[in-house]
Amino acid sequence: MTENILLISLLFLPFLGAFSLIFLKEKFLGLFSAGIGIAEFVLALILGIGTLLGGGYFCGIAGVLGFGLNFTMDGFRAVYLIILSFMWMTALIFSPEYMKGHGNQRRYYLFTLLTLGATAGVFLSADLMSMFLFFEVMSFTSYVWVAQEETKGALRAAQTYLAVAVVGGMVMLMGLFLLSHLTGTLVMAELRTACAAVKERGTLFVAGCLMLFGFGAKAGMFPLHIWLPKAHPVAPAPASALLSGVLTKAGIFGVILLSGSILCGEENFGFLVLFLGVITMFLGAILGVFSIDLKRTFACSSVSQIGFILTGLGAMNLTHERMFAINGTFLHMVNHSLIKLVLFLLAGIVYKNLHTLDFNKIKGFGKGKPFFLITYGAGALAIGGMPLFSGYISKTLLHEAIVEASHAYHGSLHLWITAAEWIFLISGGMTVAYMLKVFFVLFLEEPSEAVKHHGILPYVSRPVQVLLGIPAVLFAILGMFPNVLMRPLAKCAEPFFTGGMAEEEGELVQYFSFTNLKGAMISLAIGIFVYFVIVRKWMRTREDARYLNRIPVWLDLEDGIYRPLFCRVLPFLFGVPCRILDRLISEKFFAQILPFLLAIPCRFFDKFIDGVVWVLHCTVFAEVQDKERERGANRFAYLIGRAFDGVSEFFRRITKRGKRKEQSYAQRFDAGQEKISRTVRLVTRSVSYGLLLSCIGLLATMLYLLLSL
Amino acid sequence: MNKNLILLVPVLLPVIAGIALAFPKIFPERKTRWWFVCAVCAIELVFVFCAAGGGYELTLARFNDRLAFVLRPDALSLLFGGLCAIMWLSASIFSEKYFSHGKDERMYQCFFLASIGVIVALCISGNLVTMYMFYEMMTLFMLPLVVWERTKEAIHAGYSFFFYSIAGAFLGLFGFFLFYSSKISLEFTPGGHITAGMAGVDRELLLFACFLGIVGFGSKAGMFPLHGWLPVAHPVAPAPASALLSGNVTKMGVLFIIRIIYYIVGADFVRGTWVQNTFLVLTLLTILMGSVIASREQLLKRRLAYSTVSQVSYVLFGVALMNPAAMLGALLHIVFHSVAKNTLFLSAGAFIHQTGFTKASELRGIGKRMPITTWMFTLVSLTLVGIPPTSAFLSKWYLAEGSLTSAIPVFSYLGPAILLISAVFTAAYLLPISVNGFLLGLLEDSDKKIFRREKEPLGMVIPMIILAAAAVGLGIFPNALIRFLNSIITTIL
Repeated sequence: MTENILLISLLFLPFLGAFSLIFLKEKFLGLFSAGIGIAEFVLALILGIGTLLGGGYFCGIAGVLGFGLNFTMDGFRAVYLIILSFMWMTALIFSPEYMKGHGNQRRYYLFTLLTLGATAGVFLSADLMSMFLFFEVMSFTSYVWVAQEETKGALRAAQTYLAVAVVGGMVMLMGLFLLSHLTGTLVMAELRTACAAVKERGTLFVAGCLMLFGFGAKAGMFPLHIWLPKAHPVAPAPASALLSGVLTKAGIFGVILLSGSILCGEENFGFLVLFLGVITMFLGAILGVFSIDLKRTFACSSVSQIGFILTGLGAMNLTHERMFAINGTFLHMVNHSLIKLVLFLLAGIVYKNLHTLDFNKIKGFGKGKPFFLITYGAGALAIGGMPLFSGYISKTLLHEAIVEASHAYHGSLHLWITAAEWIFLISGGMTVAYMLKVFFVLFLEEPSEAVKHHGILPYVSRPVQVLLGIPAVLFAILGMFPNVLMRPLAKCAEPFFTGGMAEEEGELVQYFSFTNLKGAMISLAIGIFVYFVIVRKWMRTREDARYLNRIPVWLDLEDGIYRPLFCRVLPFLFGVPCRILDRLISEKFFAQILPFLLAIPCRFFDKFIDGVVWVLHCTVFAEVQDKERERGANRFAYLIGRAFDGVSEFFRRITKRGKRKEQSYAQRFDAGQEKISRTVRLVTRSVSYGLLLSCIGLLATMLYLLLSL
Repeated sequence: MNKNLILLVPVLLPVIAGIALAFPKIFPERKTRWWFVCAVCAIELVFVFCAAGGGYELTLARFNDRLAFVLRPDALSLLFGGLCAIMWLSASIFSEKYFSHGKDERMYQCFFLASIGVIVALCISGNLVTMYMFYEMMTLFMLPLVVWERTKEAIHAGYSFFFYSIAGAFLGLFGFFLFYSSKISLEFTPGGHITAGMAGVDRELLLFACFLGIVGFGSKAGMFPLHGWLPVAHPVAPAPASALLSGNVTKMGVLFIIRIIYYIVGADFVRGTWVQNTFLVLTLLTILMGSVIASREQLLKRRLAYSTVSQVSYVLFGVALMNPAAMLGALLHIVFHSVAKNTLFLSAGAFIHQTGFTKASELRGIGKRMPITTWMFTLVSLTLVGIPPTSAFLSKWYLAEGSLTSAIPVFSYLGPAILLISAVFTAAYLLPISVNGFLLGLLEDSDKKIFRREKEPLGMVIPMIILAAAAVGLGIFPNALIRFLNSIITTIL
């Protein structure tokens, strides 16, 4: 291992390229991005070859993000970096012709380059912290790919993609919290020894499962595969190729760490991964057979192939003969990446020419197009596991791994693993079936109206032909000389799978022996049977040979379970108690209920003295009307008043001035007298009230004195 | 001349400037008036840093040997005060455009300036009594900013803000009486005054006092059960004011709780008691409740208010765990949340100012109209969710690490889980705004009116860009900040 600062440039080149895109003219976007892609590939090639020949590189940026970023390049990473940069380069070179006439091109190229940087970061990272950082960046930047077209379907798929990415990321982070707490290190190379020393196996297992959730979400593992069949068809074809070929592998990259280092040798984890892998493999294959859309078929195929890879990773922890599983998994990853690059870009070529991917509209597109036939044929044969093609080698190894695992157990477990082996063969058969289906659609059926109308125009540019031709040829060459070419390839990835530990060498596999060929033949037979019996008879109308979508609409995991669960049920379940806490307890309680309750005693004490006064008023001080005395007094005042009235009238008549008085003196005196008497009454009462109270006070004082004595 | 008098400058300068602005003769032009406000805030920022660094101490008044008004800044004061001064400055830059069409905002500016003086005084207070005084003053000075619109809702919100604050403060005050009567010094000393073998101390009574303080000042920090003022006050206050309320004023509650736990009684005294457990329950409950309700709230500013309820409780969760890693997470989150939430509220203000839309669902296609604002909104949204390399990821990491190492049964695992569930909800209430803003078309009925790319006012955009850059940049280069915060933590734990 030597330090090499160039590793960082693998990240910075695309990131800086992306930001300089902002200032570029519209027409140079594609050219510039393709240039960055080529530069990245060359750089990856130089570093990769250097790694494979030498001992590998490492480098780090201290202090960034508080923990520092650490990168390393070993055999596995070197191979994958070369593959991913090759794929990006091809996709970027294909992009201008695909994106012609599409809007928002700047955004597309910008995020494609950002995703390149982030994905390179994921594969280069030497510790889980750096990896998580780039993993999240990758999730968010690739989101833009899915939403790029801004159609209704694209936005919906993008929503699902984002939700899965966010939830997956957070669950993974929880796993990282636990792992870092348990082991104290997140450096990948140290994980195997650190995890083996952990005493709390249960917690470690939980941490592993949480991380499996996060990585599995990106890889497209059941039951988190839902985003894949939706996102791939709506994304631009180059982006689909990368999503399917590389981004899912970033998830697998994490699962390798889990199976190979963190939970190495943990049987339960092996069974869990095997179980999920088998379901994913089978489910994806079924969906692929049912699909009537070219890209959707390939997307479902991706789900299925990820299942194959996961099956291998599961089998790895179930047997001591780990080499089959390790080599098979890695080779299948490599195969699948390159195959999906070819297939999705072919789908892109179809879409670019016909603007549709519906089987009924693209029938016969491949007729008279030899390049198309060769590349598709190579891809399909490779993924179908045909002997002499590379897919056969990796599938044979995976099959071997499952067989080894089944030998390691007895009783019911043995039966279960044997069942898994059969599902493996059947899924392989269905891979053949849907590839045959596409083959018949593209090359053998009567051309549809659209295809006839389109004719045989120049349908693809020369550079793309070359770039797609390379992997197509590679599938055949690799498949023909497995022990010469593929074994060394697999060898250089081994240290990563075993967490740096030495493992016992696997024996040389005789790929073209009868036992190994038998498996492939069974799969082929099943595939041909499924195609000719089920697809042709049931999924196609007899009259006009139209393909039908036989999968019921309601049978959709996303629409049936996830969306209602996450959009309705969970918000409701969480929302109601939270509302109650928020509104009832906080707002209502403090604003209304508490003041009301407090007010009752307060009112009581507030009105207490008033109440006492009122009671006294009604009882002791009840008004006594002394009518006799008042009338007498009134009479006296009346007489004087009349006298005054007479006198004043007399003077008025003499002087003949002034008006007649409104009010007689008699009434005035009467009112005045009334006032005086009321005041006198009030004073006496007040005094008596005061006396009463002071009496009470005196009594109380006396009582106190008496008691205190 | 006493060089300690420098402490009075950051307190009195804005207050005097604010009072001066109340006279209509001074700066009749509104634009120059805003320049003046910005300038005062900038000078304030400088003086906060000068005053907090020099180890000054100033006694304003002394009543007896245990009661005095004292200003004595320490590193924690610098953290909170400096943060407030920065945010006040950015809000003042933003405000010039925000208030450009509306009634005369002279009185708003007065109280805006005066409040920063009081808040800085609160931050640099040297004992509980001083701090309490400035705390109440802060509530009073912020009240005019809340009720600025003078609509019926605004007045109602003002009442809410006022009563929750006062009620909480009185709860805390009662706790202080208990401290005082138990002969506990009210001066702030790192590590607290209560030592293990201290005689003549009624521990239960003091714990109760401490609890009262936590719940009471938790009101300002938006902690359940006294969080009710936040969702009422934020939507009606002008956007810069709600930004400051949410990003900084809530933090004053946190500061108070830190002062009580770590500077009066000491973390060792509270650790492992019922107070810690209750505090943890309350914070976790608030974290979950806030983000769940926020995800179901349509009014953008109210959604952000509930988000604050949730996020400030992240900080309180770290404070409640009482170990160095969690404390580091809490202090980091104080900075990061303050930066992010200010940006969110400012951009919400920009949306409202430019379009008049207040609901999240109305903001479809806003990214095509106001790309810079929406981009800043998106960046700080990702920060708040905690997506690396943005900053709040770090604080969450340290909080989770602190929680797991604390080894408190149940909470050590429950805490990180709730943090992450809440993060998912945070994504659910923030990201759709950006997604719909960038990817959807505009609402049909508003097409004609606003389908054009508007020139975003520079005065509004610049503070947002700087803050969003800080939100991301502090995540990538956090080491200096972490070193500074660790220097605080080593003194108190």
